[in-house]
Amino acid sequence: MTANRSVPVRLALALAGACALLAGSGRPLAQSEPIYDYLFRNGHVIDPAAGRNGRMDIAVAGDRIVRIGTNLPADQAKRTVDVSAYCVTPGLIDLHAYVNAQGVLRQGDARTAWRNVNPDHNALRHGVTTVVDGGSTGWRNFESFRTLVVDHSRVRVLAFLNIVGSGMLEGQEQADPADLGVEEAVQMAGRHRQTIVGIRSPHLRGAGREGIERSLRAASSMDGVALVEYQPDAGLDYRELVLERLRPGDLVTETFGPATPVFDGNGGVNETLRRARERGVLFDLGHGSQSFRFRLAVPAVRAGFLPDTISTAMDKTSLLLPRGDLMTTLSKFLNMGVSIEDLVERVTVRPARALKRPELGTLREGGVADLAVIEIQQGRFGFLDTSHERLRGDRNMRAVLTMRDGQIVWDTEGISRTDWSQAGPYSNYR
Amino acid sequence: MHGTIRISLAVLLALAGTPAAAQESVYDLLLTGGHVIDPANDIDAVRDVAVRDGKIVQVAAAIPTGSAKRIVDVKGLYVVPGLVDIHAHHYGYAGSLFPDETAFPAGTTTVVDAGGPGWRNFEDYQEKILRRARARVFTFINSVGLGMGGEEDDIEDMNPRATADKILAFPDLIVGVKNAHFGGSGWTSVDRAIEAGRLSNTPVILDNTILSWTGRDTRTKVLEKMRPGDIHTHFYNDRHVEILDRRTNRVQPYMHAARKRGVLFDLGHGGGSFLWPVADRAMAQDFPPDTISTDLHAGSILSTESDMPNSISKMLLLGMPLRDVVYRSTVTPARTIKRFPQVGTLGEGRDADIAVLRLDEGVFSFHDAWGKKRLGTQRLLNVLTVRAGEIVYDRDAIAFPDWDAPGSNGRTRE
Repeated sequence: MTANRSVPVRLALALAGACALLAGSGRPLAQSEPIYDYLFRNGHVIDPAAGRNGRMDIAVAGDRIVRIGTNLPADQAKRTVDVSAYCVTPGLIDLHAYVNAQGVLRQGDARTAWRNVNPDHNALRHGVTTVVDGGSTGWRNFESFRTLVVDHSRVRVLAFLNIVGSGMLEGQEQADPADLGVEEAVQMAGRHRQTIVGIRSPHLRGAGREGIERSLRAASSMDGVALVEYQPDAGLDYRELVLERLRPGDLVTETFGPATPVFDGNGGVNETLRRARERGVLFDLGHGSQSFRFRLAVPAVRAGFLPDTISTAMDKTSLLLPRGDLMTTLSKFLNMGVSIEDLVERVTVRPARALKRPELGTLREGGVADLAVIEIQQGRFGFLDTSHERLRGDRNMRAVLTMRDGQIVWDTEGISRTDWSQAGPYSNYR
Repeated sequence: MHGTIRISLAVLLALAGTPAAAQESVYDLLLTGGHVIDPANDIDAVRDVAVRDGKIVQVAAAIPTGSAKRIVDVKGLYVVPGLVDIHAHHYGYAGSLFPDETAFPAGTTTVVDAGGPGWRNFEDYQEKILRRARARVFTFINSVGLGMGGEEDDIEDMNPRATADKILAFPDLIVGVKNAHFGGSGWTSVDRAIEAGRLSNTPVILDNTILSWTGRDTRTKVLEKMRPGDIHTHFYNDRHVEILDRRTNRVQPYMHAARKRGVLFDLGHGGGSFLWPVADRAMAQDFPPDTISTDLHAGSILSTESDMPNSISKMLLLGMPLRDVVYRSTVTPARTIKRFPQVGTLGEGRDADIAVLRLDEGVFSFHDAWGKKRLGTQRLLNVLTVRAGEIVYDRDAIAFPDWDAPGSNGRTRE
């Protein structure tokens, strides 16, 4: 890495640069002037949206990616990070999670937050730079979530607005039909277009067909996507839901949860799912604390049926025993035989397109510098599903570094850090 | 890498509903073949640990496995009392973390919230945090009425009588008083916190900026203000307690004198309170923390990764023996909050709070408060956590059957 320049040298270079500009020569700055803040060297870059899959360097200046290429000049970087042992991907997108924790931890209504988790550490430690709340709040309480969580998180937080006006309230199990307000939801979404990407269907019992219909109406009106959970007792069977009600581009979640009819009677993947996919309906994993079973996932993956988006639906419960964070969830699929490239696609470009935010989930010169550096460890590992059954594995994915907006927010192996012995004596330790 | 995963035949048979299940189980959980370190009982050897009804019932060599409902092979791993973290943050500010979420993956089963609530909002904290947590949560109540959610510089809101009364009203939950982040000058905040401690007969845990303009100095604080049993946290930071002479790098004589008179020093690692040059020199002069604690919050979980296994690993790197790090993260913290031996030991009859740790070999990077790394060759990792007899975290799924195991019926989940 390049050592910090002394102030006089820096000043001299800056002056030289200023003189060059004043002279209007258009001549580039001196070759050795650091113009990149970071250079990530020689990583295995996987960026399906841009068709990249190979060894490349990535240069970052300020909050932007400025160059992607091979053999970028290290002497132009303030700090060079050797990532040759790792994969480098766009910052990952967790399309479905429950991240409204601040109501419990700081202020506000604990009932809206009792099962939510903090977004920052649960996302950034796993390479996730965009996390989408799966509907913890509705039009009545979204603005508190916005103020307490969205505006104060380093990870980018987007949200599905719950069609249930009060969102997911502790202790509430039955939907109140009067609380499913289409107009109110559409208005709230209109006020927060930067954050609200779509509408979440009722998570409560008793909302029935009407709950689904209103969710889809609201999603249409706001020009957003619907995130729908199938409920067997809603008076609408799975076939009708995914083949007749959902629009192309809508998401049905809990792909490998117990309520999803993944297989037909003969052990093949249900024709309904294949036809829904042909129509453009998207399948979201939504691991969660109840909705991911190896008994469904392993045979489905063997038959070539993967969810379009791999998301955690993480909450306080799912992060503990089934370890439903994004890296561990991806590791579960890796050990079912899914390739790393295929996995990265389902946590970058596919969720970005599903959310109609194509600028996310890809590495682009001039684009925001959100990226993840991922290690694939070899060894003996074990993974749990939500029935607490185990899949054994020999590989594990782990985010070793996460950059968000050009800042390194996670660096567990210290690959961008200075060794303490190089930091000066205690009287002037820097 | 860790040893082969094995679920015993007994478990599989029991799950299959064969006659083995009909036999009455003597144990709910049996951890076999692990290296038990239980300093309180002077155990540092391979032992089995048997659990029933949420309690430790036996720690012994080769306990018969025949009648345990669940047997987990922990050969090659260390079995220690659930870790006790006396400096955590679970309430009152944006950096707070929910106890279970961060404690259980770290092998921590007992946490002490360090000053989140004060006497004015203790009940709100009870409702929002305590009643929802499975981890054992104790509290150092803030000497400021509104705790960390209030204004910690507000001397007017530091009421020793009201604070002590709250402690006396909740003696099972509140273990002492916290005074911290006071940025003003003078000794009033320290004096009032210690007065609350005196009125309630509980220890006080302190941090406090030490700068010439505050009129406070470490010598007066640790030799004259603090009582034996009081705790100074953020020990290896040099802004709240000056351990080293910056010119000579020697541990200050007043620090030795303070330790001699019974003042306790807590690591309180956090995002800002562990500097390699301080920790390195203090340890080289045999001046370790009494208690290893995390000061874990939303910032430090990302920057310094100061959870218990990582903080402990840093002490191992600095030469503290494994048995000693276990002692200082179980026994001494439990004693400090006057909860030993109910907490901090695997003694028979105690609550079955257990951490199973793996000592990995390799090259690992450990980070200090100023973002500098130091490479080490060992890292402790928590792989299994048991709280009151329940498995609450299992990193590598060593305690559960394969999804396609014969006889598994898809209803493994308890």
